[in-house]
Amino acid sequence: MSAFHFDTLVWHWPIAIYLFLAGVSAGAMFFAVMLKHGCLKGKAYQSGFVQAACVVAAISVLAGLGVLVLDLTKPLHFWKILVFYNPMSVMSMGVIILMLYQVFMYAWIVITFKQPIDDLCKKRLPIVGKLTSVIARYEAGITGLLVIFSVSLGAYTGFLLSAQPHFPMWNTGVLPLLFLASGLSSGAAASLLGGVLLKGNPNGAEVRFIHKIEIPLILGEILLMFTFFLGLVFSGGQSKVAAFNAIGVGFWGFIFWFGIMGLGLSAPLAMNLFMTATSKRKFSYVAGTACLSLLGVILLRNFILYTGQMTVS
Amino acid sequence: MENSRRHFLKNTCALVAGVSVYPLSGNNAEMEPEINNIKYALLHDESKCIGCNACVEACREVNHVPEGVTRLSIEKTGPFGEYPNQYYHFSRHSCEHCENAPCVTVCPTGAAFIDKETGIVAVNADRCVGCLYCIAACPYEVRFINPVTKTADKCDFCRETNLKEGKQPACVEACPTKALVFGNLKDPESELVARLKANPTERYKQSLGTRPKIFRIKARQGEIIL
Ligand code: SF4
Ligand code: SF4
Ligand code: SF4
Repeated sequence: MSAFHFDTLVWHWPIAIYLFLAGVSAGAMFFAVMLKHGCLKGKAYQSGFVQAACVVAAISVLAGLGVLVLDLTKPLHFWKILVFYNPMSVMSMGVIILMLYQVFMYAWIVITFKQPIDDLCKKRLPIVGKLTSVIARYEAGITGLLVIFSVSLGAYTGFLLSAQPHFPMWNTGVLPLLFLASGLSSGAAASLLGGVLLKGNPNGAEVRFIHKIEIPLILGEILLMFTFFLGLVFSGGQSKVAAFNAIGVGFWGFIFWFGIMGLGLSAPLAMNLFMTATSKRKFSYVAGTACLSLLGVILLRNFILYTGQMTVS
Repeated sequence: MENSRRHFLKNTCALVAGVSVYPLSGNNAEMEPEINNIKYALLHDESKCIGCNACVEACREVNHVPEGVTRLSIEKTGPFGEYPNQYYHFSRHSCEHCENAPCVTVCPTGAAFIDKETGIVAVNADRCVGCLYCIAACPYEVRFINPVTKTADKCDFCRETNLKEGKQPACVEACPTKALVFGNLKDPESELVARLKANPTERYKQSLGTRPKIFRIKARQGEIIL
């Protein structure tokens, strides 16, 4: 059995990319909100990290949808997903979440960048200022809903897979939590990386704030990974076979132990602890750690997607 | 401010709870008695099957199934027993028309659906966008993308062809040994029900809760396989 081609394979790597992008977007938006409300307040729009998070979130969710549409066998019929709904289908619910998420995402971005937007349009389009004021009145509600929808989006990427009785490795309730946690940390990583690239201070308050959340998040991810595989083993039967097929010897076993557990989780955890302990936060440290986290999450999505389909119920 | 936030939280929680309970109530509706008194099922008597593949070919012809894909296949295992009394086992691989069909549950557009009148699980080709979700979700691995229509496809008991013309499904008509019996589970007079009552039968992967409607009479084992 080759790692990328086998009989029971249905969903290929574009789905992993889609799941990754949706997770990054949800995570980046989540951290943008946290940064604004937990750390920067009204000055949020000046922060390179918040700017980066917003850009990343907006682009990656669109790119993710693009990948999803192109991967359909009838891409030109994609609008049918938007018109016909099946309340029992996780994918259908996901589409609703994705749409509402984007509405609140743009609304929140407008509120957060109200100052520069108003300044820009003051002379020529004063109407824009009125519009932004109207939206800004609902800031509390929009922010709350955005957080709810970003968390839902992160978890949805897991539920999409776990709703399938065909593949025992996916068919578990831990998967959505695992994907949520890894989606959030990929969003944090993308914001940090984008932030330092946009000339954000690598030793700024934002970085310290994100690191404070990221360390427990990575520990949580490791714990969830452990629960995920131990749960599969204890379920016995094909679930157990699936677990050992995935993390045993072979290409995907290597990806799991070296790529995901090593480069993707342990290394960023060590770097974050080091940076917190020594307060040495340089551009290269922050950017390098973020790249490792992102790599780990891309690998995790592909690992779960492919190994999950190798063993059937 | 604090107050309004709490209010908002309360409302959203109620909304989320409401939305998440909604599908459950939909599920119960499924259990309600059907409008019609038809529930089609198929029996494959493996002790009669000789593996001639006439059923496969008939299906291809009647339902215009392109080369390279198939709605139906006969899987051969063996040989079992000792020479010269050796024989093979044949088992039919096709849509099980699950009462609780994962393909229908996951389909985002409702293209995969259960025909309430007949219990047949079918595909509305017009609605299908080709997301492959149903193909991944089906525990019996019987769905495929039709290379001509780019649409999810599978056995529908000849719902669009032979059944419409008042005939039996193509595979059943073609079988030279009468190993396939098609009929209405709700009709106590039918041959299908009589055969199901008189014989021990097996259904695949019942532990998944899919409640499949392909019944199988097993051929003698001839060997002990652990
Ligand atoms: S066997 Fe597969 S395609 Fe047929 S009804 Fe069951 S889940 Fe759907
Ligand atoms: S491939 Fe077609 S029938 Fe299958 S889940 Fe997607 S839209 Fe529904
Ligand atoms: S036509 Fe009848 S005997 Fe021949 S393979 Fe099909 S079920 Fe078996």
